[in-house]
Amino acid sequence: MHEEPASLRLYRFFLKLYPASFRENYAELLEREFRDELRESPGTAALCMLWIRLIADLAISVPLQLAREIAQDAKHTIRLWRRRLWQAAFAILVLAIGIGASTGVFSVVNALLLGSLPFQDPERLVYLSNFFAPHDSVAQFHAWRRQSSYLNDTALFEPFDVNLGGEGEWRRAHIVQVSSNFFSMLGTQPVLGRGFTPGDDVDGTGVGSPGRNAIAVIGYGLWQALFGGDPKALGATVRIDGTPLTVVGIAPPGFDYPGKAVLWKPAAFSPGNNGWEVVARLKPGIILPQARQAFAAEADRLWPDRTPLQKIRSPSRITELRDQLAGPTKNASLVLLASVGLILLIACTNVANLLLARTADRTAELSIRSALGASRARLSQQLLTECVLLALAASIAGVFVAFWTASIAAKIQPAPIASQTYSILDGRVLTFAIGISVLSGLLFGVLPSLYAGRVHAFGTRGSNDNRGARLVRETLVVAQVMLAVVLLTSSLSVGRAFIHLMHINRGFVPKDVLTVNVSLQGTTHQSGARSLAYFEEALGRVRRLPGVQSASATEFLPLYATGGIGGVFAVDRKPGRASSAVIPVFSDYFRTMGGRIVAGREFTAAEVQNNARVAIVNERFAEQFGSPADALGHQVFREPRKIIGVVRGMDYRSDGVDAGPRQVFIPSITPGGFFSTFVARVDGRAEERLAMIRDAIQSVDPQVPVFGVKTMEQRLNDALARPQFYRTAVSFFAGFALLLAMIGVYGVVSYTVAQRTHEMGVRMALGTTPARLRVRLLCEGLFTIGAGAVAGVVGAVLSGKFLESLVEGAKPANAATYVGIIFSIALIAAVGIWAATRPLARLDITDVLRTLH
Amino acid sequence: MSSKEQSSATNLTPLSPAVFHILLSLGEGERHGYALKREISLRTGGRLKLGPGVLYGSINKMLELGLIEESDDRPDPHLDDERRRYYRITAYGRKVAQAEAARMRDLVQLAAARFGVPKHA
Repeated sequence: MHEEPASLRLYRFFLKLYPASFRENYAELLEREFRDELRESPGTAALCMLWIRLIADLAISVPLQLAREIAQDAKHTIRLWRRRLWQAAFAILVLAIGIGASTGVFSVVNALLLGSLPFQDPERLVYLSNFFAPHDSVAQFHAWRRQSSYLNDTALFEPFDVNLGGEGEWRRAHIVQVSSNFFSMLGTQPVLGRGFTPGDDVDGTGVGSPGRNAIAVIGYGLWQALFGGDPKALGATVRIDGTPLTVVGIAPPGFDYPGKAVLWKPAAFSPGNNGWEVVARLKPGIILPQARQAFAAEADRLWPDRTPLQKIRSPSRITELRDQLAGPTKNASLVLLASVGLILLIACTNVANLLLARTADRTAELSIRSALGASRARLSQQLLTECVLLALAASIAGVFVAFWTASIAAKIQPAPIASQTYSILDGRVLTFAIGISVLSGLLFGVLPSLYAGRVHAFGTRGSNDNRGARLVRETLVVAQVMLAVVLLTSSLSVGRAFIHLMHINRGFVPKDVLTVNVSLQGTTHQSGARSLAYFEEALGRVRRLPGVQSASATEFLPLYATGGIGGVFAVDRKPGRASSAVIPVFSDYFRTMGGRIVAGREFTAAEVQNNARVAIVNERFAEQFGSPADALGHQVFREPRKIIGVVRGMDYRSDGVDAGPRQVFIPSITPGGFFSTFVARVDGRAEERLAMIRDAIQSVDPQVPVFGVKTMEQRLNDALARPQFYRTAVSFFAGFALLLAMIGVYGVVSYTVAQRTHEMGVRMALGTTPARLRVRLLCEGLFTIGAGAVAGVVGAVLSGKFLESLVEGAKPANAATYVGIIFSIALIAAVGIWAATRPLARLDITDVLRTLH
Repeated sequence: MSSKEQSSATNLTPLSPAVFHILLSLGEGERHGYALKREISLRTGGRLKLGPGVLYGSINKMLELGLIEESDDRPDPHLDDERRRYYRITAYGRKVAQAEAARMRDLVQLAAARFGVPKHA
């Protein structure tokens, strides 16, 4: 019968599905049974029936036996963990951080580079940077976009901030004016109403000029906020900076391109507007390299007179829209993913080392079990179950780390589009998490289970450790110590830079200063005289509030200068030499901000009201006259203003590196050209008083949007969020690297001890004391640490440069720092080694010698 | 048998049909796996056909519980196959089988009182 061998082979294959112990005991019997059954089932029909019965039998019995044996192994594992609780805890912690951090970073990569974009065929969309498409008029732009040989369609957009109001309150909003083909080019359909049609965009100046283009598509969120999701919103009116727009469409949920826009209106084209950005869709069949060539040729054709220097400084580029949206985060997240992956790999090898040491330690137990009939497969299965349980526990803990990582990433580098949120609960991210958990489980599980196989093969006699394997393990420890030194050094440098940033003198005292932004655009207070009246009224109300020491307003707030006025101004009616920034302020400004007046005085209320021809300059500006006092009485500007005071310059940037440019403060009669910031100094409890100040300002006119209600300290923290993040991240990784290195050292030394028990026993028999042996191992271990530390110092010096570019103000570490770090690592390592060699102290020489024969 | 053993015997009930039938067969004498299977199939009129996995899974569990043990004797030397393994019931196994039988008897009595017992089921 030829079916017999084939059927038998197949059945033998199925038998492999049973767990090791059951298989060893019964495989032969099962096979026998099968032969008997086969003999009794002649003919194809009977054979088929037999197989149906067998498959049902397998389907019932395999899971049952697996569950039984795994439950046994799991119970055994938990008993073992209880005995070495801290080892298990360390292993889980290290793996959880590795798995969690990788998953968290992957969620960012997934959202930015793999997730879907709210556009049709997003991979065909490109962004054209440093490229000004012909845009002097509607006709010119549309004629140009239609003639393209490589772009199917091109749309222009220009984002800006406005005061936005519907039926009720006013708010500050990010909106965008777009060419009429914007929605059709992206392939996005409004969920309600319509997008824009040709003819909706017009020629004209100004954003809010009423006309054919006085229509808008509003975002889904705004629709909910302003109209409560009522379809009657179509046809309703919203006002941007006072100009009424009729709502014609509602964008789909999650669509907020570009840059978290909440409202889209048709463009008004005018010559000389250089604020346009260009997004386009490639023609079918055109691939990016081809488009790049055509684009370069077109850029050269449109601006034939660009110098090579201009081309290098601001090169025209065509990039995939997804890449443009991800921006520098793309590379940063990929590099981070690779680093975290590498760390996970190190974590895996460390845990493998730890388990290996433990397995070697358990040689006796494994040998006894082996002697009692447990096969290599059975022991491997036991060790593998241990690893799977470890990986499982680590993955569960890792989920929390992943959520935490993703939430930090969202805070530091929010996704450019609402639909790209960094989410762990995403099919791809979860698959990734499960994948790396399983992979790491296998990775650190394979070595120990292979070792179990060797125990079985060679019995209790610990075979001499292979020199190559030992070298690999020691090299790993060297690499880890190196990593720990580099990261610890970096964390100290970044930490010092951060402390410096926190304590730098910025020319103002942020403590107890409250700030509130307003914008008068589109309100009834927009014109000069009315704006002054508004500010005086608001300041009057704020100054009368309890606890307010002083209050003022400025057009440009330090750390929050969204615009600027500057230029080279005349000094004493002669042309000036260097450029200066001009900052319009109200009276009492320096007192409120805690600025230091070096010479002269600050503006009076009368000077502000009368627009007096006076100015205050900063020390840097005053340098040209000699000492600060010498500057008083000199004049600035072509229509001269007399310098009445010299102050310490205010830091308008957050990094604190630049001493600040020359600054000229003038009394402002129309603060709020763009928008303005009220500042108030209170006597303590600044955060509690924010609402009070906001209400006082809002009470002057509810139509004026009030935003940015923050203490100056909050603004400073916001501005320092990124360096703060770097500091936290680097310190975290440094601590983690240190932990990894310690576990690595401990694992290797424990393993060495377990491996060389016999050698140690013989040495002790020959008269060495356990203490002397331990010291010897300590020296050997510290030698490895030393090698790692030297490599680490070299690495730290090299990475110092990179760090300086990443975090401004980060200075390379000095020799004392290096010595301190190396000494600390050596000390911690010594403790680890001493703990790992503890078994030697309990070593019974007679036992050891007996096992030799 | 101590009352402790008695209570542990009761704890194992109800037995799965496979386990009870195996105990029933072994109560008569030692058997190897294949013989057990055929006997059970015959006894149940082919309604309980134990597949090899379920059969040896049950045997494995019964060995662990101490209901049966492997026998070194070969009852019928000229018919014996060296490669087969013979099993016999332990005293504890008998106790468990009794407990199961008692449980079933109580159940049958209850059912009979409630519904009556047909002559031909």
